[in-house]
Amino acid sequence: MTDQEPKYILCAVRGGQESRNTVVRAIDLALKYNARLTFFHILDAEFLGAASLTMTPVRSIYEQLHEMGEFAMLILCDRASRRGVTRVDYKVQEGNIKDLLRQIAIETHADIMVMGRPVRSPGSNVFTRQDFDDFIHSLQTDTDPHIIVVSPDPLDIDLNSDPHGILPSEE
Amino acid sequence: MNPTLRRTFLSAALILISLVLLWTNSPSRAQSDLSPVLIAGSVFDNLDQPVSGAQVILSGKDPDSIISEVLTESSGNFLLDVPENIPDNLNLHIERAHFETLEVPLTPADIQELKKGDSITTPDLVINRRITISFWIATLIFVGVLVLIATGKLHNTLAALVGASLIYFVSYIGYPINENLYIFNFHQSLFYVDWNVIFLIMGMMIIIAVVENTGIFQWLAFTAYRISGGKMILLLPILMLITGIASAFLDNVTTMLLMTPISVQIALSLGLSPLVLLIPEVMASNVIGISTLIGTPTNILIGSYAHLSFNDFLVNLTPGVIMAFIGLALYSYLTYRKQLSGSQDTSALLLERLGQQASITEPIHLKKAGVIGFFMLLLFMFGERIHLIPAVTALLGATALMVWIRPNIEEMIEAVDWTTLVFFISLFIVVGAIQEVGLISFIAEEIGIMVGDNLLLAVLVVIWFSAILSTVIANIPFTAAMLPVIGYLTITIPGAQSMVLFYCLSVGSAMGGNGSLIGASANMVTSGIAERAGYPITYVYFFKKGFPALLITVTLATIWLLIRFL
Repeated sequence: MTDQEPKYILCAVRGGQESRNTVVRAIDLALKYNARLTFFHILDAEFLGAASLTMTPVRSIYEQLHEMGEFAMLILCDRASRRGVTRVDYKVQEGNIKDLLRQIAIETHADIMVMGRPVRSPGSNVFTRQDFDDFIHSLQTDTDPHIIVVSPDPLDIDLNSDPHGILPSEE
Repeated sequence: MNPTLRRTFLSAALILISLVLLWTNSPSRAQSDLSPVLIAGSVFDNLDQPVSGAQVILSGKDPDSIISEVLTESSGNFLLDVPENIPDNLNLHIERAHFETLEVPLTPADIQELKKGDSITTPDLVINRRITISFWIATLIFVGVLVLIATGKLHNTLAALVGASLIYFVSYIGYPINENLYIFNFHQSLFYVDWNVIFLIMGMMIIIAVVENTGIFQWLAFTAYRISGGKMILLLPILMLITGIASAFLDNVTTMLLMTPISVQIALSLGLSPLVLLIPEVMASNVIGISTLIGTPTNILIGSYAHLSFNDFLVNLTPGVIMAFIGLALYSYLTYRKQLSGSQDTSALLLERLGQQASITEPIHLKKAGVIGFFMLLLFMFGERIHLIPAVTALLGATALMVWIRPNIEEMIEAVDWTTLVFFISLFIVVGAIQEVGLISFIAEEIGIMVGDNLLLAVLVVIWFSAILSTVIANIPFTAAMLPVIGYLTITIPGAQSMVLFYCLSVGSAMGGNGSLIGASANMVTSGIAERAGYPITYVYFFKKGFPALLITVTLATIWLLIRFL
């Protein structure tokens, strides 16, 4: 492994079937470079305020959602370990998706950040397609990690993604 | 004795005795100071419903010469004081907003009775509804609130507040411009707020805040998983049952908020899509939740309006609910049998993690909550005998729990979701407005004409009409608006006095929620959590799974209600 090889890979993921390709890609990269892999899950429960009338306070549900997020990340870590990734962990945080993605990209000094392209925008906190492209562009410009965007459909080639997972110096 | 003195004394005695006799035997007019002369009567509308707050004025030949006036009570009754000197011509003038004014001249015989000092009773007075521009404004506001809630353009509470504010705005600002814009004033609007509902919900919120922090639901779900040994044929119905029974004592949304995250984890650990567990669970929550008075907000509304007790719901609905649940469980298993057969064994790591998360975090609080809950259950079941209303039981239980546990009182008060309470208060005002202007009477009359005296038809119409409409209209405002309609039908249809139509409304509005994603708030929050876990539930997907469940459960519940009441 050379000094320019990525040592730290961050995978921002929601979980579920649509995250599959993103997770696989991140694990492949971690195996290729024997890098540390962190799965990052952002929790937001803004939908609860508008959607529900309940006899239980909304704030007390955040803890449950946090545990659910951690569990999902634990499953991904287990999957990565079984495939041979030796250093894998996860992080779950609650808050605004855009702000937290930017923050973690800066704070962790990750070499590569793998994200999935959203396929639907059911809520106000999920990107529209144009929003997402603009966000990725600003993230690439303002932060260190090389951003790799993975599409859920493997036949849908994303011109912004790096299909081989190579560093900028190799382009 | 001196004869002159004797004559004087006797004369004085005679005069004194005469005066005493005159005073005690004075004519009945003097007795009116002790027994007032009254005109008694009752005012009804054209649907034979009592009219409260109608102004009854007694006047002479000149309508402006008001002799006496009074307002009718909630029973429609009035007692009008009649003063001493009354003219030979007397008229009763009955007026009320949103009704035609009624003039009733008193008969000479009645007037004679009154002059003699005797009270009289008039025949029932009927005033007819008057449709004005305020009818259309109130209707539009109500429909607007429903649309805002259904589309999610505004928070539910804000939508209801906007509706209530518009009602007041039109009434107060519009009235000086045109009296036909008047709907009702603030004081009148408060009569439509059911404070029993508000305080019952408030009390339950505090109790739920203590219970949900104990981790009991997560523990129950994990225990179900261990008992079933991961066998889906056992696990699925057990989880559905736990969710349903919890929903019978907490509200559905709370139950799903607590059960969904742990269910997602159990499903993921078994290699299953969480939807395999979540969809049946939320449907079970909508079905079993109506077993008790406190299980759903709609039941709380119905119970308070129709004076149905905790036991009434238990006795009259639970067997039907059990039938519906069995049908639902079979349907769920058949729907997901392919996915269920593909479940995997859980890894030791995930099992350990599940066990850690699904532990009772506050065992002492749980025990205390259990004791208080037991006594509350007894009070719900038997408190009716001492006229103890459910709201008082809930407040007593909440206070006892807080005194015993001594939590941070500010946190506990924060546990009361004031947003929800404001929603209910505002909703009562908006529904009260459409009641005031006559929209509810109009709907009741039309449905009454449609079903006539046929109780069977009425049962089928109410239950299925409620079920289908609940798939598109939020069930809480729908139920609140339907209550006076059902009340009218209950009075007018022979046999309906068993309150069967209220139970039909309960079944239809709750089980109808399974018909679509927006049919119940519990569906929406489950969908929201599942989506955030990466397993979105689309409207079409939920409809495909839920609508057949609606047909099955409502059919089985209908069969029960027909057996029970017809």
